[in-house]
Amino acid sequence: MDPRQATVNHTPQQVLKDALSRYEQGKIAISFSGAEDVVLLDMANQMGLAVDVFCLDTGRLHAQTYRFLETVRQHYNLDLELLMPQPEAVSELVRHKGLYSFYEDGHSECCAIRKIEPLRRKLDTLDAWITGQRRDQSVTRTNVPQEQEDQAFSTDEHTLIKFNPLADWSSADVWSYIRTQGVPYNELHDSGFVSIGCEPCTRAIAPHEHERAGRWWWEESTQKECGLHAQNVIKIVD
Amino acid sequence: MHITLVKKILASGEPCRKCRDVEQRLKDGGHWPRIDEVITADERDPNSPGMRLAKDLNIDLAPFFVVRDNGAVTIYTLYFKFVKEVLQSNHRQSDADKELLENNPDLDFI
Ligand code: SF4
Repeated sequence: MDPRQATVNHTPQQVLKDALSRYEQGKIAISFSGAEDVVLLDMANQMGLAVDVFCLDTGRLHAQTYRFLETVRQHYNLDLELLMPQPEAVSELVRHKGLYSFYEDGHSECCAIRKIEPLRRKLDTLDAWITGQRRDQSVTRTNVPQEQEDQAFSTDEHTLIKFNPLADWSSADVWSYIRTQGVPYNELHDSGFVSIGCEPCTRAIAPHEHERAGRWWWEESTQKECGLHAQNVIKIVD
Repeated sequence: MHITLVKKILASGEPCRKCRDVEQRLKDGGHWPRIDEVITADERDPNSPGMRLAKDLNIDLAPFFVVRDNGAVTIYTLYFKFVKEVLQSNHRQSDADKELLENNPDLDFI
């Protein structure tokens, strides 16, 4: 069977177990965002699976998130690796554009420096990574499979596999797991935060809002500037 | 080698911002003469040459480059990868990372 298909529609635990059995330690890691994806750490822990865990420390996280990272580190006795951006790049950005350039220019420049560069540096050392991505998180994730070749970070010389054990789960599934298993969670969730990222770019949302509304809300939520969107053109013949 | 740039016209009739940016970067870097052909993918017209080519090649991002060399066809949807590999020119890593993020919106939640 094609290994890409091997875990389709399996439980998150099965995907995790399968992934961790196929790659040696040091070549696979969980990317932990400091939010609901804590369930992945709990699942690995309950199954007695050793796994490396890293987290992107952009320098702009909420104080509550830093406290949560420490709670999780202690709770699961984790060797949690924090990935930091290059100080020179951050310094140059701030010197030229200030601390809140994303409100003017959009978030991609700051995210490229604070997230993508350190993430790429880490992923270059791995053969596979595990994320908490779910299909219901945004319009850009509706096709997320449980396992995929990572098109963004693979290179001609280095194929990287991405596992998304929670792809099939809904937010309700995740919260049901957190409650029933007594998993520690970020206290921001109790204040209306659903998707949690950096402090200046994250806000609490109303119950009827999609979680995407809590991130970069000043930007167009469905903006996919680079996509090619054919219009349904009705030709009128006169 | 034959290089085609496919640029996009948005449904609003405006040229896409990224396409304008890429064109300007090519000109500023002195690379514009290396582009043999520019065709347009007009979102209002699925039969526009660029939309047809994108469909044939199964590409859903623009701008993109089609590089034909000795019978081999290579598609580049990342400008900075194209610049590095085809034009053999250097670029700032942060620009390439920004483009990577913009072309992969599912990375938004990392
Ligand atoms: S989420 Fe906001 S603060 Fe964090 S890296 Fe992106 S733009 Fe910068």
